[in-house]
Amino acid sequence: MTITAIHIHEVDLTSHVTYNMSDGKTCDTVKSVVVKLDTSTGVSGWGEVCPIPHYLPAYADGIMPAISEMSPEILGSNPLDTDAVMAKLDAYLQGHVYAKSAISMALWDIMGKVSGLPLVQLLGGKVQNDMPLYHSITCVDPEDMAEMAKTAFATGIRQFQVKLGADKNNEADIARLRLVREAVGNGPLVYGDWNCGATPLNATRVGRAVMDLDIMLEQPCASLEECASVKRATGLPMKIDEGAHDTASLLKAYELGCLDAVALKINKFGGIGPMRKARDLCLHLGAMMCIEDTWGSDITTSAALHIGASTASSHVLNVCDLSSYVAPRIDESAPERHKGRIACPEGAGLGVTPNPDVLGPAIKTITL
Amino acid sequence: MRINRITVWQYKMPLTEPYYLSGGRLKFEELDSTFIRIDTDEGLSGWGEACPWGHTYLPAHGPGVRAGIETLAPAMMGQDPRALDAINQLMDVTLPGHPYVKSPIDMACWDITGQAANMPLWMMFGGAEAKPVAVNSSISTGTPEEMLALIEKASAKGYRTHSAKIGGDDIAVDIDRIEAISAGLPKGELVTFDVNRAWTPGVAIAVLNSVKARDWVEQPCETLDQCGHVASRVDNPIMLDECMHDFDDHLRAWSMKACEGVKVKPNRVGGLTRSKQIRDFGVSVGWQMHIEDLGGSALADTAAIHLAASTPDANRLASWLCHYHLSLDPVPGQGARNKDGFATPPSTPGLGVAPDLNMLGDPVAIYEA
Repeated sequence: MTITAIHIHEVDLTSHVTYNMSDGKTCDTVKSVVVKLDTSTGVSGWGEVCPIPHYLPAYADGIMPAISEMSPEILGSNPLDTDAVMAKLDAYLQGHVYAKSAISMALWDIMGKVSGLPLVQLLGGKVQNDMPLYHSITCVDPEDMAEMAKTAFATGIRQFQVKLGADKNNEADIARLRLVREAVGNGPLVYGDWNCGATPLNATRVGRAVMDLDIMLEQPCASLEECASVKRATGLPMKIDEGAHDTASLLKAYELGCLDAVALKINKFGGIGPMRKARDLCLHLGAMMCIEDTWGSDITTSAALHIGASTASSHVLNVCDLSSYVAPRIDESAPERHKGRIACPEGAGLGVTPNPDVLGPAIKTITL
Repeated sequence: MRINRITVWQYKMPLTEPYYLSGGRLKFEELDSTFIRIDTDEGLSGWGEACPWGHTYLPAHGPGVRAGIETLAPAMMGQDPRALDAINQLMDVTLPGHPYVKSPIDMACWDITGQAANMPLWMMFGGAEAKPVAVNSSISTGTPEEMLALIEKASAKGYRTHSAKIGGDDIAVDIDRIEAISAGLPKGELVTFDVNRAWTPGVAIAVLNSVKARDWVEQPCETLDQCGHVASRVDNPIMLDECMHDFDDHLRAWSMKACEGVKVKPNRVGGLTRSKQIRDFGVSVGWQMHIEDLGGSALADTAAIHLAASTPDANRLASWLCHYHLSLDPVPGQGARNKDGFATPPSTPGLGVAPDLNMLGDPVAIYEA
């Protein structure tokens, strides 16, 4: 069995609510790149990667050149050699893991379809039927954010990510955390996320001002050392996102003592194989995992849900139904949230059937 | 002064001899370079070049340079090219990572800034004179005898610093290479045994503690942590190259005592601004540095030589010139060239190099305000 063609589609995903992060980073309409790999036996696999602009070292228009560059190595390979094909690509084009993520996803989709098994079973088996979702609250006025938290709470959500820093105003950030905690009461998880936008000083000032509350902080500053110093100074638990993207950075965050929780995003790590490796390491290190992707629709959401459902519930912080944040849906029949939780798809491989009308024609096809 | 146009050319430059990278990282026969010209509303223009060493050496590739510039170009329009820190900050916010894309833009902005200031870049970088910079040879891996013969040949051309590529499959052969070169190299010449990441830490420690190697050992293993571990267990000074991507890596290397020197390559770290920051840090902590680019024509080589020439003698080792390995010269005769083992940067304002437009052919993209 060999890979015979690579089809690349682009789908513009528009957020239902424009999403603001620190440093003017926003997410309204972003390009998602969907990859389909065809094989000599007629089975096809799907992958999706959707970088948020200005967020991580990844951008949508960098995906096609990287996949084109790697295409001589991809075409003719046996898609069932999942890790081996990716090792070959790592040797051929260093870095650019976000572009490789879509290829890896498609390989595992094919693997599942050929074996007749859903991805969750290829990753160790289903250990939980559904996983808790978090709700990410865009950085706007504190009062409005508290309202958004209440609305989400009413739908069953019990974990709230509060975006901070968009207006560079410590007092407003403190109010955001206090008002959201007040709005949802004691019990639910509330965490404040700066997306690297704070200095250690400002993050420490904000953190110390809410020390009386049950609050977790997320990636206040760019470096792991800075995040660790904020944790030491505030005593608040710390979630790492942008700073954790491979084995070395996970180990470093662990050694620095700031890996209470971590965001494992598929295209940050470079696909399903690297995610499985990161997931297993985090289980060992005792880190709570948010298992998701940076952005995207039903293909990558489904992939993340399979990984989540195969991960011990004791260490799954939450997952994210990215496809509910954006339109259009790539597969209307993919799982949706129910009372703040979501299950992984049934069916072999990723278990998704992309809607050809939404994908449109491939903008590039590369064949043997 | 405002940027109002960025013009992009793709230019393929064949190597005079095919080049093999260690670790099965392919053979290649030509380099895919990207030239850019930034134009301004005041009529000044600046040139930059990004030429990754193929696509298997570092996380960089030619088509990625051009795709990245397409993403960055709209944000560059209307910016003052002389505001170099602001330009770099804007590039980092617009496109995180991808330093290899930013390097040619930064380089072209330095070219404009130098012209606007009527100063050559070596002076902008703090140099007192257009110092001739020693040129580094590149000795391909082979039998000990073959390598010594290549060193002798290079020595006859004026090279006094040699980069000997080692790191094969057979540890015993690497030991033989190190022993033969350490014994045979004339006094007064310097060798760096460049492993190009080929060893695991165990192999590095075993080899280097089995021989008395002269001078430097470069990038023995893949990661900074691995190299740092090796540095703590061997006698030789360690030079780091491929594992150094940003300022933080350099800070970490220093704090973990992983090296006594680094290679400063603008395209690897994101341009001359970032390279200068690293160079200045290196000077302040007493490192010795090879300052050269990843690859490219005499244009990219010259940009790096400006920075090298402005670096104190004690902190500067020799610079390798990529353009010597190419069969095309799109900046005919210009810039820093090897003369008896030394390359001197031009003293005309800015970079002092501009490509022959007839050689570059048609641009592949033009972005305008």
